[in-house]
Amino acid sequence: MPAVQETIDQVRQIDVDQYKYGFETKIEMDKAPKGLSEDIIRLISAKKNEPEWMLEWRLEAYQRWLTMDEPSWARVRYPKIDFNEIHYYAAPKGTTGPKSLDEVDPELLKVYEKLGIPLKEQEILAGVEKTRIAVDAVFDSVSVVTTFKEELKKAGVIFMSISEAMREHPDLVRKYLGTVVPQSDNFYATLNAAVFTDGSFVYVPKGVRCPMELSTYFRINEKNTGQFERTLIIADEGAYVSYLEGCTAPQRDENQLHAAVVELIALDDAEIKYSTVQNWYPGDKHGKGGIYNFVTKRGDCRGKNSKISWTQVETGSAITWKYPSCILRGDGSRGEFYSIAVSNGHQQVDSGTKMIHLGKNTSSRIISKGIAAGVSDNTYRGQVSAHRKAENARNFTQCDSLLIGDKCGAHTVPYIEAKNSTAQFEHEATTSKISEDQLFYCLQRGIPEEQAIALIVSGFVKEVIQELPMEFAVEAQKLIGISLEGSVG
Amino acid sequence: MNMQQAIKMTAAETALVDAYTAQIGDLPGDGAVLSLRDTLVHELKTAGLPTRRVESWHYTDLRTLLRAVPSADPSAFADRVDPIVPGSSVLSVRNGQADLKSLPEGVTARSYTESLLDGSAVAGLAVLGSDDAIGRINGGLVGGGLEIALAEGAEFEAPLEIQIAQSHGQAHTRFPVSFGAGSKATVIERHLSTNGDASFVSSVTDLTLAEGADVIWIILQQQGPADTHLGQIRFDLGKDAKLHLVVINAGGKLVRQELHGKASGEGADLTLRGINLLGGDSHTDVTFTLSHDVPHTTSTEIIRNVVFDRAKGVFQGKILVAKDAQKTDAKMSCNTLLLSDEGDFSAKPELEIFADDVQCGHGATVIDIDHTQLFYLLSRGIPENKARAMLVNAFVAEIVEELEADEALVEALEGVISAWLAKHA
Repeated sequence: MPAVQETIDQVRQIDVDQYKYGFETKIEMDKAPKGLSEDIIRLISAKKNEPEWMLEWRLEAYQRWLTMDEPSWARVRYPKIDFNEIHYYAAPKGTTGPKSLDEVDPELLKVYEKLGIPLKEQEILAGVEKTRIAVDAVFDSVSVVTTFKEELKKAGVIFMSISEAMREHPDLVRKYLGTVVPQSDNFYATLNAAVFTDGSFVYVPKGVRCPMELSTYFRINEKNTGQFERTLIIADEGAYVSYLEGCTAPQRDENQLHAAVVELIALDDAEIKYSTVQNWYPGDKHGKGGIYNFVTKRGDCRGKNSKISWTQVETGSAITWKYPSCILRGDGSRGEFYSIAVSNGHQQVDSGTKMIHLGKNTSSRIISKGIAAGVSDNTYRGQVSAHRKAENARNFTQCDSLLIGDKCGAHTVPYIEAKNSTAQFEHEATTSKISEDQLFYCLQRGIPEEQAIALIVSGFVKEVIQELPMEFAVEAQKLIGISLEGSVG
Repeated sequence: MNMQQAIKMTAAETALVDAYTAQIGDLPGDGAVLSLRDTLVHELKTAGLPTRRVESWHYTDLRTLLRAVPSADPSAFADRVDPIVPGSSVLSVRNGQADLKSLPEGVTARSYTESLLDGSAVAGLAVLGSDDAIGRINGGLVGGGLEIALAEGAEFEAPLEIQIAQSHGQAHTRFPVSFGAGSKATVIERHLSTNGDASFVSSVTDLTLAEGADVIWIILQQQGPADTHLGQIRFDLGKDAKLHLVVINAGGKLVRQELHGKASGEGADLTLRGINLLGGDSHTDVTFTLSHDVPHTTSTEIIRNVVFDRAKGVFQGKILVAKDAQKTDAKMSCNTLLLSDEGDFSAKPELEIFADDVQCGHGATVIDIDHTQLFYLLSRGIPENKARAMLVNAFVAEIVEELEADEALVEALEGVISAWLAKHA
């Protein structure tokens, strides 16, 4: 089939170097010495002015981490990481935490301007359709600015960097931190617990519907640093919040490590919608450089009829190792996972979800779309389980993979475990290339081939894109276009 | 060497190693076979039985589940029983000694003991990988079996039944079977026990299908409620070869049935149908891997499971499509009726695909009886227990009805299913 052949040829030529956000910003940085030790952890904790219990928590995690081994079960290959060759703290000089916009280094503001992240509130007001998004901007190890804080405060919503929250709302942080992803959950999460430098904290009080979208934008800039952020979102009874996360990094020959932890807690009748557009630097066409993205994300539907929904568009990173999960503890709670993972060049993706049904009448839905091109490997790995008491647990899983080119691989590894006779689980997976029938249909209606492929791909991922907040959906659609450029319009 | 023995051996591990030590000098084999046996048993001693940390044994922690192994008893063979399909030729293996009396024309067979003694068996004794515990146990302890060859173009009307009956103790058997080009046959591999005493059975079957061979191979596992059955089928499909594999598990306490195959000739086709009838305190695991190595091969797999009582069931299926295996068409589905709150079922259907021009899919469901179907039957005056039994029966019997070309065979297998359900449902 010539059309497919052409696609394959184009994929072969494709440059992953089309990464748009690969610039580096020269800015004076305050860095901790390389390496990891108790002293470094004390230093991080001191820099953040943290309470004593926090330092102890970190040191405990560090001791556990020393006894743990790197997991090797994922379908990814990479040279051994030397954890002592990384700077665990790097902050733009003079920045100890977010301040008002006027005080922020103009160089930094330029970075966000270049990335297209709206940090000035009035600009956002003039934005498309008057939608407003509150942004927490994290630059290497620190949060540099958080917008719309005042307005959110009026609604009772707390939105700030987690270091700030530790000082201003220590009780809330202490009550919830580590309750979803425990200190010693896994190798990377434990490392994160020991050295996390910043991240966002959100608390939506009882019955409040957060008046705007919240978002955090992560940027790795400095060389030889790792980014370890920790996000904690709590939706109290009947609350609703929609949160977006975006990320980029400069183009470098060395690999950089990103090991984040995200914890979501939804109490009775609360709903959290968490969307990610992950666009870390994927490495060049020879597979050199790129971010190692080892992330632990988990949501706890702690209350009755609570709901957590994860939507992710994964286009970046040399290696992605990430399984946003839901623990469906509350009766009637619901978990959702919508994912598009696009891999090209030498990228390796091993991603999926876990839906752990514990409560009665819980339901979950998983829609995962993997697109593999180039010489990449794209794996869906997911677990759905119903415990003895999870009466009427209901799951529907659909994972589809699309292969573009004959040098890539697509894999599906689901684990389905039912321990209750009233559970109803359905799982289906398909792997195929672009359907010749669909392509033919488009072509005979005069749609040029490349456009037709783009159309089919966007149809393939539509179910997931629809779940994204509008502002993000546009960006995500564009990103998928860039990632597959050369293979699709 | 002793340094490697870091693990503390469990009672079952000790029993297996002891069974080997006790039989040294009696187990058949030439120098090469005996030295391989030594290596395999040594590996078993140092690595132990697999635990859930070994990915392919994730849901069947053999080290924990296998509590005891009955000791080998040379007199523990059972008498031959009637074939399941009347009129079949029966080959039986009793205590390693093959009974070749009723060998049909076109089939050559000899006792596997001879292959062990002359060393021709050594290549086939190698394990499939470091996680191949069944290959290891069987390779170390195998006493006999049958080596069967079907001549080119040989065709049989009546099925061939290989009967492995055991009353207690241990049995470790092997069946290398080669089907000549264009041959056609139906073979029933039947494992049964004649009483309720515990027995431990390991069995490895190695099927090679030459060009255009067309084979129906049925594994009927009807061991006793105290038995452990570790079975393994290896198969290699040549050009245009067709294998219809049916696995029926209707017995045993701890059962692991592995099926590992390759579609290595263009046009090869595999049909796998599995029925797992699970009840009591049993643990049954069916693990399947199929590697589509060349272009234009096809496979479909359907597994149906019914779980009663405190039974635990596992299905792991992996379809691998190699880099150049374009135009592969593979479909796998695993459906489970979970009828008890104390039972459980875990499924892990995997796809591992390296070629782009393929159609691969899998589906897995775990459900209770469909209430609308039940209602339909109830509204027609059928009592609930009967209605349920009908629905369960229909759910699994569907699978054997595909063998419609051989009515007697379908009837016999349906009989096995109905008899099991009558006892457990």
